[in-house]
This record gives sequence, C-alpha cells and structure tokens, in this order.
Amino acid sequence: MLIFWLLIIPMVTAGICVFIPKHSVSKYVSIAGSFITFVYNIVLNCIAYKYHTLQGFDGFFYLDSLSILSTQIVSLVGFAAALYSAGYMEAELHDGEFSEKKLRWYYFLFHMFIFTMLSVCVCNNLGIMWVAMEATTLATTFLVGFYNKKPHHEAAWKYIIICTVGITLALFGVILTYHSAKGTLGGIGYALNWSELLKEADRFEPHLIRLAFLFILVGYGTKAGLAPMHTWLPDAHSQAPSPISALFSGVLLNCSMYGIIRYHILASKCVGAEYSGTLLMIFGFISILVSVPFIIVQKDFKRLLAFSSIEHIGIIALGFGFGGMYGVYGAGLHAFSHAIVKSLLFFCAGNVFLKYKTREIDNIKGAIKIIPVTGVMFLIGIFAITGTPPFNIFLSEFLILADGFSSGRPLAIIFCSLVTIALVLIFVGFVYNMFKMIFGSSEPNPERGEVSKFTIVAMGFLLFFVLVVSIYVPPFLNKILQDIYDIVRNV
Amino acid sequence: MTHQIIVNSRTVDILAVLMLMSTIVLIGSSRLRVCIWAYALRSFVLALVSGLIAYFSGIHHIYVATGVSIALKVIVIPGFLFYIINKIKIKEDVESFINYTMSLFIACGLILIAYYSTQSILTFENVFMRHCLPVSLAITLLGFFVMISRKKAITQILGLLAMEDGLFFAALSTSYGMPLVVELGVFFDILVSVIIMGIYVYRIKETFDTIDTDVLRELRE
Repeated sequence: MLIFWLLIIPMVTAGICVFIPKHSVSKYVSIAGSFITFVYNIVLNCIAYKYHTLQGFDGFFYLDSLSILSTQIVSLVGFAAALYSAGYMEAELHDGEFSEKKLRWYYFLFHMFIFTMLSVCVCNNLGIMWVAMEATTLATTFLVGFYNKKPHHEAAWKYIIICTVGITLALFGVILTYHSAKGTLGGIGYALNWSELLKEADRFEPHLIRLAFLFILVGYGTKAGLAPMHTWLPDAHSQAPSPISALFSGVLLNCSMYGIIRYHILASKCVGAEYSGTLLMIFGFISILVSVPFIIVQKDFKRLLAFSSIEHIGIIALGFGFGGMYGVYGAGLHAFSHAIVKSLLFFCAGNVFLKYKTREIDNIKGAIKIIPVTGVMFLIGIFAITGTPPFNIFLSEFLILADGFSSGRPLAIIFCSLVTIALVLIFVGFVYNMFKMIFGSSEPNPERGEVSKFTIVAMGFLLFFVLVVSIYVPPFLNKILQDIYDIVRNV
Repeated sequence: MTHQIIVNSRTVDILAVLMLMSTIVLIGSSRLRVCIWAYALRSFVLALVSGLIAYFSGIHHIYVATGVSIALKVIVIPGFLFYIINKIKIKEDVESFINYTMSLFIACGLILIAYYSTQSILTFENVFMRHCLPVSLAITLLGFFVMISRKKAITQILGLLAMEDGLFFAALSTSYGMPLVVELGVFFDILVSVIIMGIYVYRIKETFDTIDTDVLRELRE
C-alpha cells in the first residue's frame, strides 16, 4: 500500500492540473505535486532501505536498492523539472508560442510521464513493466510535438514509431521469459514476477533466456538510446520543450536501462554473466563511438547534449557489462550523476534558447555576459559532464574504466583504451563548441538579465547535488550502490 | 483425448495459415482499404484461436482476453483507421519503396527464415501447435518489413499492428497467452498508441499536405 501512494500522487496531480485553466495557479499545483512525490519517495526509500526490500499488493510491487536508485532519480529530477517548467513555460507562454489552454495538457502529460516512469521502477511483474514502458512513450509523444510545427511533428512521428517498434520487440522477450518460466513456476498469476523468476532462474531453458535477453536488449535499448537504435533520440530531445528534454535524457534513459538490468540479472543467473555482460559491453561501446563525431561537428546545442546522452548511456551499459565491483558501483553512480548534470545542462540550454531564440551554436555569443548565472552554471555543467576532475562524473567514469582494465579480459581492455580516447575527443568537442556560445561578444546582443527566477532555483537545486556528489558520496547512496552490486551479482 | 488434440491442432493450423495469408495481403495489395479489412480479418482469426484455446484448456480468463480483443481489434481499431482515411481523403493506393513483386519475394524469404530460426527452439516443444511459433514469428517479421518498406504513415501503423498480432499469437501458442492483467495492459497500450498515431497522421497531412513519410527529412545532421 505504501508503494501504491507513490504512484497515486503524480496521477492525482496530473488530474488536478487538467482542470486549472490559469497557469499562475497550475504551476504551483504542479510544483507542489512533484515536491510531495519527491519527499514521499525519500520516506518510502528509507523504509525500503531499512527492510532491505519492500513488497506490496501480494508481490505486485517490489522495491529493492536498484529501484530505490531509479525512483530517486525520477523524483529528484522530476521535482527540478517541475520547478523549471514553471519559469520556462511561463516565458514561452508570454512569447505566444502556445495558448494557456494548451498548457494544461502540458502539465497533465508531464505528471503522467512521471507516473509511468515510477511504475516502471516499482512494478515487480515484468509484463506490467512492459506496459508502463510503452506508456512512457505514449505520454511523451505529444510533449515532443508540443509546439505543433513541422520539425516537431517529424520528431514526434519518428519517436513514436521507432520506440513502439523497439518496445514491441521487447514484448517478444517478455513472452519468451514467461514461456520458459511457466515450465518451472507453473502458476499463472505470478509467473512473471521478477522476484519469483529470480528464485528459479537457474532452471530455465538457456536457449530461450538467451533469445529473450537479446530481444529485451534491442527493445528496451531502443528506448534507452543505445546505438544503433538511437536515431529517434537527437530529434526528440532537440524538439521537445527543455524541461522535457531534461527528463528524457536524465531519467527516461535510466528507466529503460533499469529494465535491461533486471533481465541482465535473470540471464546471468541462468546462463552466466558472460553472455549478457558481453552484449551490454558491445552495445555500450558502439554507443560511445557513434556519439563522438556528432558531438565534434554539431551545430545545434540541444542535439549536442542529446548525443552526449547516448555516450553516457553507453558508459553505464559498459559499467554493468564489465560486472566487477567497481564497474557496477560506478555504473550506478554514473546513472545518478549523469541524470543531475545532464538535466542541469538542458535547463541551462533552455535558458539560452529563451534568450537568443535559436539553437544554432554559431549564432550565440557571450552567454556569460547576457545571462551570468546561467552562464556560470553552464560552464560548471560542461566541465562536469565531460568528466573533468573534481566533478562527480570523473569519479564514476574512472571507476568504470578501472574495472574494465583490471578485469583482464582482452575485449574489455581494448574497449577501455578506445573509450579513453573517445572521452578526450568528446571533451575537446564539448569545450570547442560550448565555449563559442558562453564567451565572446557580438552585436546585436539580446537584453541582459535572467529570464525567470524559477529556472534559477531549479538549476541551483541540481547544482547543489552535483557539488555534493563531487566532494563525496553520501553514506546512504554509497550503501545503495553496494547493494546494487549484490543484487546484480545475485549474492 | 489424443484424437481431440490432433483435431484441435489441425484447426489451429488452418487458422494460423489464414492469419499468415491476411498478412501477405498487406504486402501484396495496393489498396489501403483492403489492407485494413485484412487486419480486421486477422484479428478476428486470432480471437478465434484464443477462444478455442480457452475452450479446450478450460482456463476461463482467456475468454475475457478474447472478448476484449474482438471489441478492440476487430471493431474499434479498424473503425478508427477507416475514419482517419475518410477524414483526410488520401489517395487509395499504397506506395512502396520496393515494388510489389519484389516485396512478395522478400516476404517468402522472411517466412522461410521464420521457419528455420524457430526449429532449434521447437525441439523440446510438444506437437500441439507445432506450426504456430514459426507462423507468429513470420507475421511479426512481415509487419516489420511493411513498416520499413512502405511510404504511407497509415501503412506503417498497419505494419506495427501486424507485429503485435504476431506476438500475441506467439504468446497464445507457447503459453496460452499472458496473465490477464498484462494482456489488458497491452491492449490498452495498443489502443492508445494507434489513436496517437492516427492523430499524428492527421497532423502530418495538415502540415505537410501528404502522408508519405519520406517528406519527414528535415531533422538530420
């Protein structure tokens, strides 16, 4: 019942937001709703943390450290995005991009999106997890196409078609898992519950589980933005409103990765970690390589950030693929760090867009003079996302690569060496492109001054977490990450 | 008892072939309305299979899934698709990147692939529904092929629905369908996704004045 309320809160918020015509009211409702979700989630996670795992509704819901990390990311970035939306959408509304009537649907879909992502993370039943995963696509299609212009229609169409096809392939993986489990578990009701499956996983038919994992990896990998199924991602990220891009990049990709990891654990127990781990490594590696050229020659800064997300989801996959203590710990930490840093960057990008009304890197100069607070945060974010010490992403990338090198597997060592080079190139690409925007001066410049207080508060909130994790990993997070390693290793 | 199983498996085989044929219609026909009718027919046959399985296995909750499937996939979704094509008044014929003869050859190849690739999994399977898994995989692959080879947005929706039908058939034939709550969730997702795609077909028609998806080429590096 405790977990049930976590899903009810965003749903109720969504329901209320539809009926409030005035944005001056609905923005506070939305912020309050996501704040309650955020706080409630912390309380819930503390309870789950105390009892190690938490189940609800006869095993329908299931919460362990892996889900704690994911729900924590969803609710934290969700709250920041709700704060940011209040400022960002107000400014867009002021510019006449859409009507106030339409904005109600923005908030409705926003909170439904949060609801579906939380459902992915807490549902024990893998079939329901699939349904929730597909629902995240459905909730966000209209958000991608929110501005109702040609490029937005195109991005939304590509998004729904590619993701639905991917997810449909994943359904085959779910069916195969169910089929192989039915032989051993027998019962109709809970034969798809992850916690039950795990107990019996070593007795499943290995052929079927191998095939199932492959379908799941391709299917949920499409949603996670793993190359070569990533083609929807840059379009959707660049065309959606900035708060939604932040949620896509920081949270949605992690939720899909969470789905893959659940199957990775099952497959590891059934056929050994080698098979699924190697597949994760290969897909992760390809994703990192694919993103490099696009980051270096990019002309649109939101697309640049989108390609950077492909790179980082690749790094997370690589970490789980290596499967050592440092690799898994680093991957979990990386998921958290990337979520907050990338959301911060998308918020900054949104503010720059509001000021300059363009996404072309070449047309933007001197952002740090025009919008000083955003400019400084942008600068910090860029150094953090490229893995510069002392920021948090440096730590997690270092751990993951160290695990790869120390594993002694030739494939892992080759991958790590090439990834190190790729990371340097990405750093160069980022700094080269972004410094052009942040520094320099050109005429005519837009008026000086920040667009909205809400956006600054949201960014400061995220920056706080970025800095904290940069200095040290809090004991709570540390314990959860160690737990995740135990879960992945099946101890 | 054995006799009954053989009779049933014959019936299911015939129904499976019907489903496969209605998918091939989607590839071979140049008329959009025919394709939608073929979809409705395939969904109806699929519902028949699930009804048969419910009857012979004695698992009553499958009847619920059968009922919902008839309501949604035979009546609501085809009706909605007809409504969309009437509303936007598109040209009847389906345009393809690959011509029809070639498409049919590729379709044959895909069916063969489906048969060969499932042989290794089927070795431990019982005789009942021996042909169902290959057929369901073939339908899924054909749906996928339609999605990537056809230009019209609405044909892509039909391809997606074919994929989903194939998967449902796979679930039915391998494990008597999935748990009821999951099946209902999947039905709900399919319905909502078809509605959203339908709305986008309409919007694309409004803004681009065509529903050929090869005009969607603005966003690239």
